[in-house]
Amino acid sequence: MISALKTSVRTLALGAAAASLAATVAVAGPIEDRQQAMKNVGKAMGQLAAIAKKEAAFDAAVVKSAGETIAENVKVFKTHFPEDSKEGPPETWSKAEIWANMDDFNAKADKSAEAAMAMAAVSEEANFMPAMGNLGGSCKACHEDYRRPKQ
Amino acid sequence: MKRLIAAGIMLAGAAAAAGWVAAAPEPRSAASLAAHEADAENGKRLFTASGCQSCHLPGKDDKDADKSLPSGGHELVTPAGTFYPPNITPERETGIGGWSDIEFINAMKLGISPDGQHYLPAFPYTSYAQMSDADVLDIKAYMDTLTPVKAQNKAPELPLGLPVETIMRRGLGVWKMAAFEPKEFTPDPSRDEVWNRGAYLVTGPGHCAECHTPRDIFMGLDESRWLAGGPHPEGKGSVPSLRALKERGRYKDAKDLATALEFGETLGYDKMSSGGMGAVQTNMSKLPAEDRIAIATYLMSLD
Repeated sequence: MISALKTSVRTLALGAAAASLAATVAVAGPIEDRQQAMKNVGKAMGQLAAIAKKEAAFDAAVVKSAGETIAENVKVFKTHFPEDSKEGPPETWSKAEIWANMDDFNAKADKSAEAAMAMAAVSEEANFMPAMGNLGGSCKACHEDYRRPKQ
Repeated sequence: MKRLIAAGIMLAGAAAAAGWVAAAPEPRSAASLAAHEADAENGKRLFTASGCQSCHLPGKDDKDADKSLPSGGHELVTPAGTFYPPNITPERETGIGGWSDIEFINAMKLGISPDGQHYLPAFPYTSYAQMSDADVLDIKAYMDTLTPVKAQNKAPELPLGLPVETIMRRGLGVWKMAAFEPKEFTPDPSRDEVWNRGAYLVTGPGHCAECHTPRDIFMGLDESRWLAGGPHPEGKGSVPSLRALKERGRYKDAKDLATALEFGETLGYDKMSSGGMGAVQTNMSKLPAEDRIAIATYLMSLD
C-alpha cells in the first residue's frame, strides 16, 4: 500500500517535472535562443582568448572544438531573429538596425562562421594568432553595428 | 503706475538684450597664443587619441570617398537631432584649409567658428578645451598635411524644425553659460607622470566623459559622477561606468585593460565593440603602448 502510494507520488512528481520542462521549452523564444547561442560562443571564445593571451598553452584539440562550437552556434544564432523579436521581454541588446539590414547582418554572421571554421582548422601554433585576429575582427564588425551596449 | 510698468518693460528689455549680447561668442585673440613650433608627429598621435576621423568620416552614400580622410558627412543620429560632422580636410572652400592658428584654437577649445558661430556640442570641444594650446596646434599641423578633399557640408537637422542659424548664433551661447566652463587640464602633483598622462588623454583628447559621464539638468557633464556611466547619447541603451573596474571584475589590472584597448574582441574582450566603442578601440590600438598603459592606469585608479 505504502509502496503503491510512493509510486504514484513519484509518477506525479515526474509528471510535474516533465510538464514544467515542457513549459520552459514552450516559453523560451527566439530572444532566449539567440542569447543562449551567444553564451556558447562566448564560452568558446574564452578558451581561445586564454591561448591568445598565453594564459593557456596552444592545444589543437581545444582550438578545433572551440572553432566548431562557434561556427555551429553562429549559424544557428542568425536564424533567431524573426520580425516579432525586436523587443523583449526578456531584455534584448539587439539593435533595430538588424532588421533594417538583414542581408548585411546575415553576411556578417556568415563571415564569422567562416572565420570560426578556419580557426577550427588551425593545427599549428604559428597560424593561431592570424586566425584569432580574423575571428575576433568578425565579432567586432557585427557588434559595432548591431549590438547595444549593456551595463 | 504707468511709469513703473514702463520701467519694468525697459528693465526686462535690457536684461534680454544683455542675455543676447552675453550669448554671443567670445573668441580668444591671436595675442593670447604663445609662440610654438608645431610637431606634426605629436599631432597625429593626438588626432588619433581624439577620435577625429571616427566622426568626420565621409558619408555612407559617398562610395568613392577615401574613408581615411576626414571629409565629413557621415550622419550622427542623436535625440537632439541628426548631425553631419563637417569636412575638416585642409581644403580651402569646403574644408578648414587656410584657418589661422587662433581660429583653430577657438574652434577646438571654445567651440567658436571663424565666422562667429557656436558649434553644436556634438563636437566635443567641451573636452578638447582641456588640451594644451601646444597639443591643439600640433593637431592642426598634422591635419595640414592631409590631402584636401572638396566636399560640401550638410546642415544639421534639429527636432521640431528648430532654427539652426539662431541656435548656432546665440541659443548655444546661453547653454554654454550654464553648462560649459572651459578649463585646461592641470596635473595632480600627488600622482606620477603615467597617471597624469592617462588622466589628460581621458579627460581632454579622448573625450571619454562625453559618453561615460552622466549629464546634469543643463546637459553639462555631472562631474560629481565622473565616468560613472549613463544613458547612451544615441537614445537607446546605456554606457558603462568606468569606475571600480577592478572591483567589479571587469579587468584584472592596468595591463589587462591596456591589452583590451589594444586588441578588443581580437582577444575576446567583448565589451569593446558596441555603442561606438568599436571605433574608439580601433583608435586606441593605433596609439603608442605607453599611452594605452597611461589611460588604463588612470582608469583603474578610479574607485
